[in-house]
Order: sequence, then C-alpha cells, then structure tokens
Amino acid sequence: MNNFSVDLTNCDKEPIHIPGKIQSHGFLIAVDKTDLNITYVSENVSKFLDVTANQLLDKPLASLNQFTLQQDSDFKIEDLLRLGIIKESFDAITPYPLTINSKPFYLIISVSNQNWLLEFEPVTLQYDIQSSIGRSASSMLQGKSVLDLLKGAAVEVKKLIGFDRIMVYKFLDDGHGEVVAEEKEDELESFFGLHYPASDIPKQARELYKLNLTRLIADVNTEDSPIVTYIENTPLDLTNGCLRAVSPIHIQYLKNMGVYSSFSISLVVGDELWGLIACHNYSPKFIDYKAREGSKLIGQILSSALEYRQAEEDAEVVEQFKDAVAIISGHLNRDKYLVDALVNHQRTILDITKATGVAVIFENNLKTLGDVPLEEDIWELASWLKTNSDESIYYTHRLSEIFPPGKKYKEIAAGILSCAISKDFEEIIIWFKPEQLTTVNWAGNPEKPVTFEEGLMSLSPRKSFETWSQVVKKTSEKWYPEEITSVLRIREIIITEINKKASEIRLLNDKLQAAYDELDTFSYTVSHDLRTPLTSIKTYAELLLKNKSIDGNGLKMIQRIILGADKMNLLIKEILHLARVGRSEIVFEKVNMPEIINDIVTEVWTAFKADNAELILGQLHDLKGDKTMIAQVFTNLISNAVKYSSMVEKPKIEISSYIDNNEIIYAICDNGIGIDNRYYDRVFELFKWMDNVKDIDGTGVGLAIVKRIVERHNGRVWFESKLNSGSKFYVALKYR
Amino acid sequence: MKTPDIFYVEDDTDYAFFMQTAVSEVKDSLNLTIVEDGTEALRRLQSFEESKIKPKLILLDLNLPGLSGIDLLKIIRDIPFLRSTPVILFSTSDNPDDVKACMEFGANAYLTKPDGYDNLVKCVHSVHDFWFNQHLRLN
Repeated sequence: MNNFSVDLTNCDKEPIHIPGKIQSHGFLIAVDKTDLNITYVSENVSKFLDVTANQLLDKPLASLNQFTLQQDSDFKIEDLLRLGIIKESFDAITPYPLTINSKPFYLIISVSNQNWLLEFEPVTLQYDIQSSIGRSASSMLQGKSVLDLLKGAAVEVKKLIGFDRIMVYKFLDDGHGEVVAEEKEDELESFFGLHYPASDIPKQARELYKLNLTRLIADVNTEDSPIVTYIENTPLDLTNGCLRAVSPIHIQYLKNMGVYSSFSISLVVGDELWGLIACHNYSPKFIDYKAREGSKLIGQILSSALEYRQAEEDAEVVEQFKDAVAIISGHLNRDKYLVDALVNHQRTILDITKATGVAVIFENNLKTLGDVPLEEDIWELASWLKTNSDESIYYTHRLSEIFPPGKKYKEIAAGILSCAISKDFEEIIIWFKPEQLTTVNWAGNPEKPVTFEEGLMSLSPRKSFETWSQVVKKTSEKWYPEEITSVLRIREIIITEINKKASEIRLLNDKLQAAYDELDTFSYTVSHDLRTPLTSIKTYAELLLKNKSIDGNGLKMIQRIILGADKMNLLIKEILHLARVGRSEIVFEKVNMPEIINDIVTEVWTAFKADNAELILGQLHDLKGDKTMIAQVFTNLISNAVKYSSMVEKPKIEISSYIDNNEIIYAICDNGIGIDNRYYDRVFELFKWMDNVKDIDGTGVGLAIVKRIVERHNGRVWFESKLNSGSKFYVALKYR
Repeated sequence: MKTPDIFYVEDDTDYAFFMQTAVSEVKDSLNLTIVEDGTEALRRLQSFEESKIKPKLILLDLNLPGLSGIDLLKIIRDIPFLRSTPVILFSTSDNPDDVKACMEFGANAYLTKPDGYDNLVKCVHSVHDFWFNQHLRLN
C-alpha cells in the first residue's frame, strides 16, 4: 500500500500519516462511517481475537461482539460507537475499558476521513493516576523562571511515566532544536544543551506533533503489523491513531541512539510547536493510555504556563527598556548636552536594548559604553554604514558576513544595531552584541547525515551520536523586535529633543544678534551724538582763547578744557571704530603687508615722534582679510609698541611673520614696560588700563578693537610679556 | 534780499555760530545765510528759483531733524535752477556709507566737521579758496 521509498533526500515528503502499518502492541479495526462495516483491520488481530483479519473485513461491526470482547453480554460495541456519534465526541467514552480473553484493554475511538478508527491496547496501569497528575502540575508550576518551569516539567513527567531520560527540546528560529531541560537516570550521559539539526524532525512530523499531542513508540524492535483492506488505492489515514506505525527512518534514528521506547509530548505555544518533551527509555517500555493522557495534560499545562511566563518575561524586558527610555528622556530634558544625557547617568542608552556595548557619534565626537570595538574600527564601521545604508535603522547579527572588516572584532560586535539620528548619518548610535554561541554541541554532525555502509550507500540517519561540536562563528544573538522598537522610541525622543534644542538655540541666537545689533547701533549713535556737543565745547574754548580780556590763569583753564575735550573726542572715535568693526561686512582680499606696515610705521613714528626708536622688520607675509581692518589691527599694535617703549633708553620694535600649520602668525615685539601677568585676561577688555601705564595716553579701546577684528577674521591674538622688559603680541590668521 | 554767497543749513546753533565766526574771519565780506531746519531750507530753496537768486555755495548738515541733508540734496538736484550750484555735505559723521550715499546723490564734496575752531577756520579757508576762486574763474 505504501510504496513510498524513503531516504534522507525526501524524508520530509514521506507520507508518515499513512504508513499502512500499526505498532503491534495493540490492534486496529476501522469501520465505514455510513454502514459501520469493517473496512480495515490490522493483521495482528488474530493474536488478540480468535479471528483473522480477512475474516473480519466487510463484516458489520456487530460481528465483533461474538469474539467475546466483553464478559458482559449486554455490551454491544456498535452501541458504544453510536453513542459517541450521537454525542459528536468520543471524549466521554474513550478510553473504554474492555476485557479480551481475561485481559484488560482500552478501546480508543477516533475519526479517519470516511472511517471510524477503533484501536485496542492493553491496560497496564493498576492504580488511578489522576491524583498524582494534579500534584505534578502544581509542583511544576512553582518554577519561577521559564527554565525552572521546564526542569520541573521534566521531573514530573519522569515521575509519571518512569522513562530513563526526559528532555525538554526547544525549536529555535531556524528549525533546529536544543535540549533546554533534562531529567535522567544518573548513569546516563547528559544531552542537556545539545543541539539537533532541523532535519531530525521533518516538517510533516511537526505538523503531526501539533495534531497528536502525545506520541508513543512502544518498542523499536517489534515488527509492525500491516493493515489489510479490500479498498483499493485508499490507505487508511492514521493521523489521529495512537497505534500508528513509526517511519522506518525514525526507528533507525532511535535505534542509533540506543533507544528502545520513545514518548513525546508536544508543547504548543500560540499555535506554534514551541518544542517537545522527548522521553527515551533504553529498554522497551509501554505507557498506559491513562499515563499518556496524564502526560498530555502536564504538557498542556506547561504549554499555557510557557505562553504566560514567556509573555511575562518578554513584558518584563520590554518594561525595562521602556523604563530606561523614560529615564533617558528625562535626562535629555534636563541635561545641557545631549550626549551626557545618553551616556553619563546610571541608566544609559545601553539599557534600552540587550546589547553589551554602544557607541554614540555626535558632532564628530565618539562616546562609548560597555564592550565596543576600537575607536578607529567604530569610525570605519560608521562610515561604512553611512555609505551602505539608507535606512535609519540597520541591524544584523552577522556583521562580518556583510562587512568583512568586522571580523576583527567579532568577539565584541558580531551583531550591530545602528540608528542614524540625522539624515546624513553624521549623528549615529550603534549598539553591539558579542559573538554569542562560540560552540554549538550538535548531537551528531549535521553536515553529514548520510553514512556509507559496506560500499553501498545506505540511506539511514546518522549512526554516530557522538557530540559533534561546531563552532558557530561571527554570529551574535538576534536583535529582538522589542529592541528595535525600543531603539526607534529613543530615536524619536532624541530627534524631538534635538529639534527643541535647535530652536532654543536659534531663538537665543536671534536674541543675541538683536542685542548685539542694538548695542552696536547704540554705541554708534551715542558716540555720534556725543561728538557734536563736544565739538561745541572745544570750539567755544578755542574762541575764548582769542578773547583778550581773559588773564593767564583763565587761559590755562581753557587749555585744560580743550585737552579734556580732545581726550574725550579720541575715546568716542575709538568706540565708533569698535562698533563699526562689529557692524561691517568683512570682504576677504589679499593684503599687501610690506606696503601696509610701511605706511603704518611712517604714520606712527610721526605721530609719536619716535625718531629714537629702532625698527626691525622681518619677513612680512601677505594676509587675507579686510584691508582696512587689518590696517587697524597693525596700527593699534604698532602704536602700542611704540607708545609703551617710548620711555626706555633705546626703544626697539620688531615686526615679523612666519607660517605655522595653516596659519600666518605675526609678532610685534617691543622692549618697553611690559604687562603684569596678573592682568593677562584683562588686556583685551574694553577700557582696561594697567597700573603701570597711567601716565600714557590711551583709550583702553585699541586692543579690544584688535581682538574684535582678529576674531571676526576667525583668527587668534595673544601676547607674551614680562614686566619692564617688553611685550610680544601675536596675531594668527588662517592661511588660505 | 541779498544774494547769499553761502547758503548753510544747520540745526546746531552753536555750530552755526562757529561757522559765522569762522567765515567772517576768513573773509569778512562773504555773505552767509543760515537756516535751522529742513522745511525752512526747502521753502528758501524754492524761493531762490522764483526770485532768480542763486547762492554761490550750498552747505548742508547731514543730520537734520525732519528733512535730512540727503533729502535736501535730492531736492536741490531736482531744481534745474540750482543744478549748477555746488553742494557740500557737512557732518560730524565720517562713516563711509554716509559719504558714499552723498556722493551718489550728487554732492560736490563731503566734509567732516572739523574738530575745534582753529581747524574750522582752516577748513573754511580751503572751501573758500577752492570753490570761490574757481567760481570766479568760471565767471
């Protein structure tokens, strides 16, 4: 009937639901749904009843009654079946206890397309198992974590069925399985933590595991009993049958492991086969129907507990992520600097995923937490992400496969989750997960499922069940949807925060600009308006000087008025200058420095009558800048040099320049009175005079103008000085 | 009305006084007419056209209440009768922008108000020498 030839290339297509055979510890009879005539019989019926299979075929079900199924002569098997049909369920009557040849049996009724399946199997359990199942369930559920729960289940199932080894086997993402809990006889080698390749339990088998929550293979060494029928081309579907014969390939598999009896309980979580409780016995061991049902119940309780606990644990993780996000969000709100908020508190962006390291690239600065690759590697990775990803979120648990340089640091960052904050990927956060399973212990080499025997290719499952270690390289734990959600959440918050800060800064900037403009306008207007009355004062004073009736003393006073007015006028002019530096646009042009310096020197030497001062000119590199303003800078500095060295015996002023690292640096050096270091910071401030220059004319604005002009040219100005031995002022402008 | 040699618009009475003094010192015979605000200046300027009286030189203070020196300058340049009359803007401001604007609107010169009386006398001297001698030559 079943001529399907099975080998490892097609075992996932093997029609295991229609094996045409049953396990021979029980027998099977199928009757047609319409007339209740016997359509299929297992050949081994003759071992249990005094009749052969062929004798029963096409007979009414009632004919079974004569084979003394039951001592009680009133019992009619067809009535039992009809009762079930009327009730539309066999739950209440199955298993129905019977006695056959003085031995107790269970009758289990199920449906198979057009037929009713009637399976008979021996009763071996002498006591009522119900109460111990309740106890088992409650002690199992005491496990706090999922792992405790699984271990508890293994322990309880072992108590219930007494098999040598109980394993809880979990299917992982790619279909391969791992033993996540185990309870066994002490002398057995542990399978805990072993991984099994996906092909060990083919797809259609998994479907069956979802339909039949328990599955017993009573003895791998017994001969199966064929099913006989007169119906052609329609093999009996044994999907729901509990005696269904086992695929030869699976029998071989079990034999290879030295297993005589196998029992499995399906764990179905949310419609998916989460895993199995796989039970092995190293000698033949039948499990009574009631004990199997008890195990099934344990499996169902475990399944729902798993669903609940897993959801609970997931929720806990999600809650922790959310907590971290909320806390960071608070920091973002309060902290001045975004990066500080992300990394400098107890809870950081490392806590919003299960990553073990994180790198934040913000405004061209790199900050890291936890285990991260070397800085240069992070920069390289970031620039790779920038060119190769157009999604703001990118993640992989196998970085080095996509980005080969990642091999270097796979131990730290086999997996990455990156999140670009800005569109141009300049601002980016990258989370890292380490290489997760350095070793997977396979139960048998998954790469070599086929063995060769005696020169012939014998297609059978692997014979070797030696642990075969495979080093799974370059792979991290996967990124969970919860982690991605969490990252997206923080991204949103960061972006909002950045936008908020940006507009705050823009606002502040606008205000500053307005204040600055106002101040400039103010100083300009004030200076201007001050000059008019000042001019009047001076002019009247000068007119008074011409008045013959004023005596010598009066004339002296008038002179003082004129001097005062002159000084004030100078001050006002300087302030006007300063204001104008702030107001005018800078037009960058090439400034011929030898020419300008010469002009200034001539002017300054004349103004200060500095004929005795020696001038040494070094190399004078041309500068790029606003010609008028540059001239102003050098006029002020050279004037100062001359002014503050005028009282020494041999004043010496040196002007030179040199190029250093993209800058042209001018030095104006004098051997004058110098500046006390105590005043270093105040030298460039407006209206600051030093103690030692009280007697020298000055406005206190000159150096402020110098500083303002240089800064507007994006340059630097500073000085070195020693009291009573001279000062050296430096002006550095970008060399373009 | 006597033809003014110099028509001067200046709101600052002090400066008007200095100018008067300086002008007399430079050349006593020079006739200086001073008006104190833009509106009055405008009225006078228009009357010049009617009475065919033409000043030899117009001096305008830049910062005036109401009509400014530049406004007056524009008006003068629109009066055909006065088109050939030299106009000098006279201001405390040495802001290049002000200078530029005045020259663009057709000022013949821009003078920064000299600091102090002695400087003012010097300034008036130069103005007189340049504009009046030239004027004579042109005549």
